[in-house]
Amino acid sequence: MDNFSHDVLIIGGGGAGLRAAIAVAEINPKLNVAVISKVYPMRSHTVSAEGGAAAVIKPDDSLDHHAYDTISGGDWLCDQDAVEAFVNEAPKEMLQLEHWGCPWSRQDDGTIAVRPFGGMKIERTWFASDKTGFHMLHTLYQTSLKYDPIQRYDEWFVTKLIVDDGRCQGAVAIELATGQVQAIAAKSVVICTGGCGKVFPFTTNANIKTGDGMALAYRAGVPLKDMEFIQYHPTGLPFTGILITEATRAEGGYMLNKDGYRYLQDYDLGTPQTEPVLRSMELGPRDRLSQAFVKEMEKGNTLEGLYGQFVHLDIRHLGEKKINAKLPFVRELCLKYENIDPVNEMIPVRPVVHYMMGGIHTDINGATPLPGLYAAGETACVSINGANRLGSNSLTELLVFGARVGSVAAEFASNQSDYTFDMAYESITEENHIKNQFFKEKKNQERIADIRKEMHKTMEEGCGIYRTENSLLASQNILTDLKERFSHVAIDDHSRTFNTELVAALELSNLLDLAESIVQSALSRKESRGSHQRTDYEKRDDENYLAHSLAYQEKDNKPRIEYLPVTITKWPPGERVYGR
Amino acid sequence: MDLTLKIWRQPNANSKGEFKSYQVKEISPDTSFLEMLDILNEDLLHNGEDPVHFDHDCREGICGTCSMFINGRPHGPQRGITTCQLHMRSFKDGDNITIEPWRAKPFPVIKDLVVDRSSFERIIQAGGYISIGTGGVPDANEIPIPRRIANEAMDAAACIGCGACVAACKNASAMLFVSAKVSHLALLPQGQAESKERVENMVAQMDKEGFGSCTNTGACSAECPKEISLEHIARLNREYFFAKQSSENVPVGDQVHEG
Repeated sequence: MDNFSHDVLIIGGGGAGLRAAIAVAEINPKLNVAVISKVYPMRSHTVSAEGGAAAVIKPDDSLDHHAYDTISGGDWLCDQDAVEAFVNEAPKEMLQLEHWGCPWSRQDDGTIAVRPFGGMKIERTWFASDKTGFHMLHTLYQTSLKYDPIQRYDEWFVTKLIVDDGRCQGAVAIELATGQVQAIAAKSVVICTGGCGKVFPFTTNANIKTGDGMALAYRAGVPLKDMEFIQYHPTGLPFTGILITEATRAEGGYMLNKDGYRYLQDYDLGTPQTEPVLRSMELGPRDRLSQAFVKEMEKGNTLEGLYGQFVHLDIRHLGEKKINAKLPFVRELCLKYENIDPVNEMIPVRPVVHYMMGGIHTDINGATPLPGLYAAGETACVSINGANRLGSNSLTELLVFGARVGSVAAEFASNQSDYTFDMAYESITEENHIKNQFFKEKKNQERIADIRKEMHKTMEEGCGIYRTENSLLASQNILTDLKERFSHVAIDDHSRTFNTELVAALELSNLLDLAESIVQSALSRKESRGSHQRTDYEKRDDENYLAHSLAYQEKDNKPRIEYLPVTITKWPPGERVYGR
Repeated sequence: MDLTLKIWRQPNANSKGEFKSYQVKEISPDTSFLEMLDILNEDLLHNGEDPVHFDHDCREGICGTCSMFINGRPHGPQRGITTCQLHMRSFKDGDNITIEPWRAKPFPVIKDLVVDRSSFERIIQAGGYISIGTGGVPDANEIPIPRRIANEAMDAAACIGCGACVAACKNASAMLFVSAKVSHLALLPQGQAESKERVENMVAQMDKEGFGSCTNTGACSAECPKEISLEHIARLNREYFFAKQSSENVPVGDQVHEG
């Protein structure tokens, strides 16, 4: 590690990053692979995923069923060749994890248990209690430790990709413990840094999810795809935004408005039954449920709380025994954070930003248009999630595409010569750049927290569940202004050890670029599809917009939007039907 | 509520640390413990002082990052929670709260309340995984696992690696952590083939890291945020005994000499 040169450099140590690292080590044990992350691998946000991971296992299920649910759930914006590869490799990846010791929940007869999930017609969601992401991540982490070639840079913050001789050849990063700025060379670079939910104020995402990898790629000239598609999860706790898993509804929870009425029946999602019905009512897709909340709020049917409007998620009828067996973490979260017991009380919930369908533009193997640069997981857009991701597809996605990207990045690295840039020069240049940007006395000094707060406000107001041209233009103007103000940010904390203020500044700079790309993509898409709802263009428009948006960063740092046709194989665009 | 905080401040691993007192005022009982520290840090930054460094990440009790010794107990006064799940309603107006890092030789302080827990990782590296080739991928249902066994393995796997067990133990023993890791794989069929080497290697690494011995006081389990049971320590001991007594117990690694 002392010479800071590797064959494969993986940025991000969550599920996708570790799966990719293992894939590289298994395919070619001679390759030297490094994982660099701003946190310890086990602190990555994969750890918080609750509900489960989708893969066909039941005898009455089929790969085509899983593909169709995914494609219709994504409002036909998914690339169908990618979806077919995904559903085909999903069961193999799940079994591979089983072999590595992942403690999947099982039925009484000892076979793998699967649970129903929103938008899925057949039960195919594997789970490990309601801590699925935790158990998957630990399995991957422990497995990664058995490979000597996998080296780690824990708590290093990557600030820049190095592009030389027409290919990505590494990155520059700050070692947070010492403040050292160091260029790291690699023959191929894989970005697995997750989404950017922190562009918004209310999100289930942890504080670390600031889209760093997306911003790195964007600034290196790689387009961001489908950034306007932002998933609101319908059931987050107000204020903290802590997620109450979809499994709560899959096990039979009801969504109730202020009158105790199961309001989803008014939004073309089926008729209420006592028991959960797949692809119906509470088990509809997340975009439709979140949109129904806004409509209820407009009708005055939601409740007013300390932290805004909310509705109720009711699981009291499931009983203590079932709640403890199937949803222990839900009960724990409610008890410990909200001081309520869902056995006797209803859970207050509201839609909360949860997942980015969009991300770094990649092909079916995770390769970006920039040679030597790859991406997988939430940070990437392959795209299998289209305009709305189905719950439990993302954990599987990071396995399938983590493995795929590892294999192609390994192959690319095996055929490359050594790096061509000057390591010392890159390190010093970036260090000076950071110093000039943040550590100089400035006139009209701006505070990070103020700019971040205003970005949150304008993104929520202008680019939330429903958007219009006017709301988006207003956000666009404010973001331009905020970026100007950001140039006046100066950092008070000059310490080199764990300078959290510097990290916050770097993260905010990433978030501002991404917010701009989101707003610009949303402005350009003059239709409503999946999670992107324009009140001024209420219909889906397949003639003009059955296409992925690609946001490129121009020289003036503004986004430019292009479109790329969606790949259709077997399922021509149709109507999304739920509950009928 | 107004509180007096006595916090361990230590600029880096090599310097000597000391307690410093701070006042925080008008804290809502619904504030979480970490949010209370965030408020303190904002004040400190505002006054040009160095903020208190502490580890935190998910703030929903699953990542295992936050680690504080609060009034003499890891993760504070409540049972079965991590520090991020602790709320100020567990304290009274005017309380004095003492906040320290984990204290154990194998967990050296990096700065203030942040400690280096990489010794845990080296223990896992000594065998906490399945390394045998499992060939292709046959149906997971070919080897059904009885639900009670699967559940017990899951309970062991619930360990978040925070290190509270070590901090709670008067001997700074890591037995609960190691036993959770050993137990998880020892219970599952895919963990059988390597079970003997695993327990021997992981225990050897634990000793090498300088963790203390287990004297069965049970403080670890009582303070564990995931309430990992002492049963796993018993299982580790059985596994270890069985491995040591087994006829297959032959020297490993460099000590092996062919005929």
